[in-house]
Amino acid sequence: MQFKLTDEQKMMQDMARDFAQKEILPTLKEDERDHRFRPELVKKMADLGFFGCAIPEEYGGNGCGFFESVLLAEQLAKVSGSWRVPLNMQNIGPSVTVNRFGTREQKERFIPAWVKADSFGFFAITEPNSGSDVAGMGTTATDRGDHWELNGQKMWISNAHVGDWGLVYAFTDKSKKYKGMTCFIVNLKDNEGIVTAPIETKLGLHCSPTGEIAFTKARIPKDSILGEVGQGFKICMWQLNNTRVSCAAGALGIGGGAIEAAINYANERTQFGKKIGSYQMVQAQIADIVAEHEAAKLLVYQAAWLKDQGMPNQHQTSIAKLFASEAAVHATSETMKIFGSYGFSTEFPAERFLRDAQSLRVVEGTSNIQKTIIAGIALGDVENR
Amino acid sequence: MNILVCIKQVPDMESRFKVDEDGTWFDGADLAWRMNEYDEYAVEQAVQLKEETGGDLTVLCIGPERVKETMKKALAMGCDRGVHVVDNESFKKDPFAIASIIAEFAGPKNFDLIFTGMQSQDRGSAQVGVLVAEMLGLPCATTIVGFSFDNGVISVKRELEGGVKAKVTASVPALVTCQLGLNSPRYLTLPNILKAKKKEMLVIPVADLSKTQALEETTSLYFPEKKGTGLILEGDVADLADQLIKILKEKTAVLA
Amino acid sequence: MKTLLVAEYREGKLLGCTSELMAFAKKLGSESVMFLVGSENALPKFAGKLYLADATTCGEYNPGGHKQLLLEVIAKEKPDMVVFSHSSYGWDLAPRLAFALKAAQFSEVVDIVDGVPVLPVCNSKLLRKVTPKTAVTVLTLQAGAFNLTDEPTGSPSIEKIGTAHADTGGNLVFEGYELAERGGVDLTKAQVIVSAGRGIGKPENIEIITRLAQVLKGEYAASRPVVDAEWADHNRQVGTTGQIVSPKLYMACGISGAIQHLAGMKKSEFVVAVNTDKDAPIGEVADVLVVADLKAFVPVLTEKINNL
Repeated sequence: MQFKLTDEQKMMQDMARDFAQKEILPTLKEDERDHRFRPELVKKMADLGFFGCAIPEEYGGNGCGFFESVLLAEQLAKVSGSWRVPLNMQNIGPSVTVNRFGTREQKERFIPAWVKADSFGFFAITEPNSGSDVAGMGTTATDRGDHWELNGQKMWISNAHVGDWGLVYAFTDKSKKYKGMTCFIVNLKDNEGIVTAPIETKLGLHCSPTGEIAFTKARIPKDSILGEVGQGFKICMWQLNNTRVSCAAGALGIGGGAIEAAINYANERTQFGKKIGSYQMVQAQIADIVAEHEAAKLLVYQAAWLKDQGMPNQHQTSIAKLFASEAAVHATSETMKIFGSYGFSTEFPAERFLRDAQSLRVVEGTSNIQKTIIAGIALGDVENR
Repeated sequence: MNILVCIKQVPDMESRFKVDEDGTWFDGADLAWRMNEYDEYAVEQAVQLKEETGGDLTVLCIGPERVKETMKKALAMGCDRGVHVVDNESFKKDPFAIASIIAEFAGPKNFDLIFTGMQSQDRGSAQVGVLVAEMLGLPCATTIVGFSFDNGVISVKRELEGGVKAKVTASVPALVTCQLGLNSPRYLTLPNILKAKKKEMLVIPVADLSKTQALEETTSLYFPEKKGTGLILEGDVADLADQLIKILKEKTAVLA
Repeated sequence: MKTLLVAEYREGKLLGCTSELMAFAKKLGSESVMFLVGSENALPKFAGKLYLADATTCGEYNPGGHKQLLLEVIAKEKPDMVVFSHSSYGWDLAPRLAFALKAAQFSEVVDIVDGVPVLPVCNSKLLRKVTPKTAVTVLTLQAGAFNLTDEPTGSPSIEKIGTAHADTGGNLVFEGYELAERGGVDLTKAQVIVSAGRGIGKPENIEIITRLAQVLKGEYAASRPVVDAEWADHNRQVGTTGQIVSPKLYMACGISGAIQHLAGMKKSEFVVAVNTDKDAPIGEVADVLVVADLKAFVPVLTEKINNL
């Protein structure tokens, strides 16, 4: 067993931290207030090679794997939970999935554009009436001979209204249930049948654009299918198992950022003539969240490592996602308490960490769904893949 | 162009320092180590020059095994090869002894340009670059905030006090010491970090290059006495403002 | 004990560090002679011997030439210490001279205790005492570290040097000065300075600082990182490589207090620091440390002062 980062991994970690401090933090308060997404920042991340993990070099890969991407996500999220999302939108979501299931032509056409952020990626699964129940989705794709026709609505889609090419999941044959779902590579721009709109009513992640997509007789070229007709559900589950680990790394970042703030505050703030960190009750709060954070870190790193080894990891990924997001929610909640009134103030970051952390136990499969997966594998009902 | 850039690994200045057992230096254990900030500008300028003119760029660092990590950063920024002069006691050497080692290495290599930081963040002597130049008989411009190279001649701007700069030229071979703000040191890219791993790292035991003795010695290292005479105000900003206004009225004439 | 004090001159003016060199010699209790490449029209107040070379023939920046002139004076006077200011002139020339003399050099001396120089380490978080292994030593003094209690008086007895060889510098060619951008401000004459550090976070916030400077009828200034980020002009920079200031009130907002900055402002009469970090080094020189985020505190303060 080896628990030490290589010099290269440490450098990547330092670089991502430096990048977040210098490029994200200075304008974060205003960006959060104005719900501002900064496309140029995504481009900068692309220039530094952030989006080429787990991708072959011929398609713009950077020679790194999931593990390194997780290190980046953690450092970015430590400063802003919103800004780890592009890793999933450009790299771990569409790029890695097309690399696994796409044809050579599709890979050449789409992956380098996502890696370089020439095309803003997305993936559209959730709908107004279907979240956890993926197979309950209503969006359909009908074969019209020379094209596919998409009808339906997607909701809570990251990058919906800023996205270019991305993945859309729809039923090609509802009667076949799971086996009737298909994945399409779709361009949201320049299509009369596609309308996108932002959702501005989120509790947190204000710098990460979220929106809805409506398909009304949208004409999609015949060659848009990723994998095979009917393979969509399988692709979707495979993809979520990857984007999940990036989300878990985001949880490490948000939790870690909150803990750092809490520790600094506990060391600085004095009450009754002593720093508040000298009181046992505050110490107990700190001990709990630090211990959970350290445990979460090992779980997340392990899941990413297993992916890079090509070993079964669904079990470990769901455990990591469940534990890390719950730990982050706990850490941010305790941090807010430690900050007292200042925790309740929007002048201090505690409340932002708390709001952003809440998203973690919803996205990429709710905590309940993670438990279903974990229990299913633990009970031997499902195989760990 | 044959270029050398000399870098130093220094502790993160935010560290909590401890004085070592001998009482003559800080304890190196438990410190986070970084590239000397001034040297980042030196490396960036050297890499830019190499990209502009082609040629070969060597980065040199003196110190224990851990300095390799800092050297890898310079390699990832674009240096072609590393020269690690292994010295577990480099912290005991004075600027003269350090400069002698660099000059001993650089002398026979005939570098066209040598870049160093203007000073280190820990010792802050601002001597090593100039001494290397003197030892090698090179023209040396210190504290540069502007650099260009054309046809064998460097044109630099030296930063003086009060916003004034001195424009200086010299023919290569030459040495420059780099001030903060000279350029914008690049972020490392992931592919370049991995490429750096494959670059040559030459290891030289310090005994092979160290031919001189230090001219000075640190006899004691200690924490300055905390003055602690200042008044510390904490609390709600409106109260703080009122308190401060009261103090300014009492102690200064500016709010008369 | 004898010290050779090296004064500085640029563009027709004697630079301000001469009295600090004298204060050092006084604290050390040594006799001293002075060296200057300058002009008879700008002489230091110094009741002693001055070796004077003419800057018009010997050059203002000509370290090789100045080194030769110094070596001649040293051969004659045989000082135990050669003392420079830790300035762009001093730190450039001192090591060249030290090498020629095979002498130990101590940089940025902040104090001298029983004849032993004290030097800062790691941004003055630590100090060290040093011993030379050479008979002669070369020193550079931190700006503001040594001060005379009284204004110096007297006129030097001048011995002209450097008349035989105009320029022996050789390998560096001085092409001229580039002045600070126009619209420059002389911070050294300001009574009140409100200064912005890295803590302002972003360029727009400089307005928070300029507004307070305005209501206090003072000037705004900045620390090096703010100037490097081009959030403020270079002529607003306080510190070793900016301007050395001594206003009645200096307000350091979001400035942690790097040694180079402290050297530029610690002679201020009254220092107020606004910083979220109670342990920031700026606290060492501050008369009042307000522990607060400047972005929250300064606008409130400005408003209240404006309403006085």
